[in-house]
Amino acid sequence: MSGHRIAAITSRLLHQFRRDHRTLALLFVAPIVILSLLGYLIRGSASVPDVGIANLDQGPAGATLTSSLEQSSKIHVIAINAPDGDAKLKDGSLVAYIVFPTDFSQKAQQGTIAPEVHVEGSQPGTQAPVLQALQQALVSLAAASSSAVRFQPNVTYLYGGPDLDQLDYFGAAFIGLILFFLVFVVTIVSFLNERSQGTLERLMASPLRRGEIVVGYMLGFLVLALVQAVEVLVFSLAVLKVHNQGNVLLIFGIEVLMALSAVNLGIFLSMFARTEFQAVQFIPLVIVPQVLLSGILFPVSSEPKALQYLSDVLPLTYAVNGLRDVMLKGADLTWPSLQLDIGIVAGFCVLVIVAGIATLRRRIA
Amino acid sequence: MSEAYAVDVENVVKSFGSQKALDGLTLRVKPGEIYGLLGPNGSGKTTLIRAIVGLIAPDSGTVTVLGRRIPDLDILAQVGYMTQQAALYPDLSVEENLRFFAAISGSDGNVTEVLKTVELDQRRGSVVSELSGGMRQRCSLACALVHRPKLLLLDEPTVGVDPQLRVQFWEHFREMAAAGTTILVSSHVMDEAERCQRLGLIRLGKLLTEGTPAEVKATAGTNNLEEAFLKLSGRESE
Repeated sequence: MSGHRIAAITSRLLHQFRRDHRTLALLFVAPIVILSLLGYLIRGSASVPDVGIANLDQGPAGATLTSSLEQSSKIHVIAINAPDGDAKLKDGSLVAYIVFPTDFSQKAQQGTIAPEVHVEGSQPGTQAPVLQALQQALVSLAAASSSAVRFQPNVTYLYGGPDLDQLDYFGAAFIGLILFFLVFVVTIVSFLNERSQGTLERLMASPLRRGEIVVGYMLGFLVLALVQAVEVLVFSLAVLKVHNQGNVLLIFGIEVLMALSAVNLGIFLSMFARTEFQAVQFIPLVIVPQVLLSGILFPVSSEPKALQYLSDVLPLTYAVNGLRDVMLKGADLTWPSLQLDIGIVAGFCVLVIVAGIATLRRRIA
Repeated sequence: MSEAYAVDVENVVKSFGSQKALDGLTLRVKPGEIYGLLGPNGSGKTTLIRAIVGLIAPDSGTVTVLGRRIPDLDILAQVGYMTQQAALYPDLSVEENLRFFAAISGSDGNVTEVLKTVELDQRRGSVVSELSGGMRQRCSLACALVHRPKLLLLDEPTVGVDPQLRVQFWEHFREMAAAGTTILVSSHVMDEAERCQRLGLIRLGKLLTEGTPAEVKATAGTNNLEEAFLKLSGRESE
């Protein structure tokens, strides 16, 4: 081992990076950005869920419980009318609502505390803080009552149910994410190869139109993406038994749109990378924030307000939401929310196709 | 061919930042001739060829190819373009590369004939990544010929080609020219320049001298092209 020779390699490496501002930025700026985002997401989140309460109780118990639930740190209570509850669960403004039925006090006297708890249910675990808050509130009631009481909440789920686990929830999103991510990486790298091996120059010096290149690429990768989508779907549904309540073709359709977006995003972004190394750098810049902010891990509704605006402009947010609506809630094309999701993903797709075509000629100069 | 010139470059200026790659360059290539483009590295040869195929839009001036103002994508079906670097798909076979480049020019392609020309007919099924550098260069030339272009633009086509094959390349170029194909070729190799019907010497984005090899030598007052080249391109810098 020669110290001089080793030093030569080390110093060459550092000199090289000194001129590669992009890599330096990636090494030193990206971690701070990603960690700040994560910190803000988790600490800054309005993690207290909105829970509706409808008190129909003719006795005093319902009112007592309601007022102590209002003090709860675990949930944020909103008074509602019982018949509106399901609609509010559907539009996502509530994660659950509690109804104290007319005979609630009467039953409580007999020793049974039986509130109705209606849970949206597409995200597993959301009922836990509601039930915890209820149990804490019971302490106030138990103090007022002399006899022992049994807590027997009557929990119903709008979607899914108690059997829904984390895999069902994340699986629905990851089916799309995996496809989007892998197709993006494969496209950006092959498009860069096209440039670095000089064949893009040859294509440009042929009668080929830019649109023909982009559409040709799109169709080629679409074939690969479709095979991958089938594989991922079959594996998820048949082997992993991820919960699916919707139409498989609809899931497939959303995946196709995501694949098309990924291909064209790859073509477009390859414009901003000179080497495969730089292309890989797009992963932390483009993919990681989308994973954090598109509701895959943290529901968009629980994000800090400022980040919600950001989430609302990310196409992946809508794709993930659409996939979850179909798989967990059984949404079909008559649902306005699904129409919006699909419309936005399709719109994004068109946008990146146009951007890819428009920038194609500039990148060989 | 009805046009007076196969390639007509009129007063073309192209700058990259503060660097003037082409500085009011005018150059005309007659149909069926082999025109050699000479000049030191960085003189603008490659930029000129790229402007002719429309890869670069000139800042001012015009380029006309086979009677059509560039940019014109359709006329490119009749143009063959070979870059310095062998531009091929490494994961495709020789034949698959040729068929692809024929197809994008809208031609069925004379694959077999072209493969014979570049002596790759034995390797037509070989994947390009397994070929030697010289074979790749030949395959790249074949891709520029496969759609039977009327105009062939060759940017240093014989780099990495052994002398024996280089002679064959040039024989083939002559045959093509005799059959009416116009060839514009850039080169560093002086014995190649001798084989051209006309030469243009480019320096700093301008055409310094033009003429047959004999005329160029006469202008420089030397009897060998190498000296003429050095003398003529040196004169400007003094």
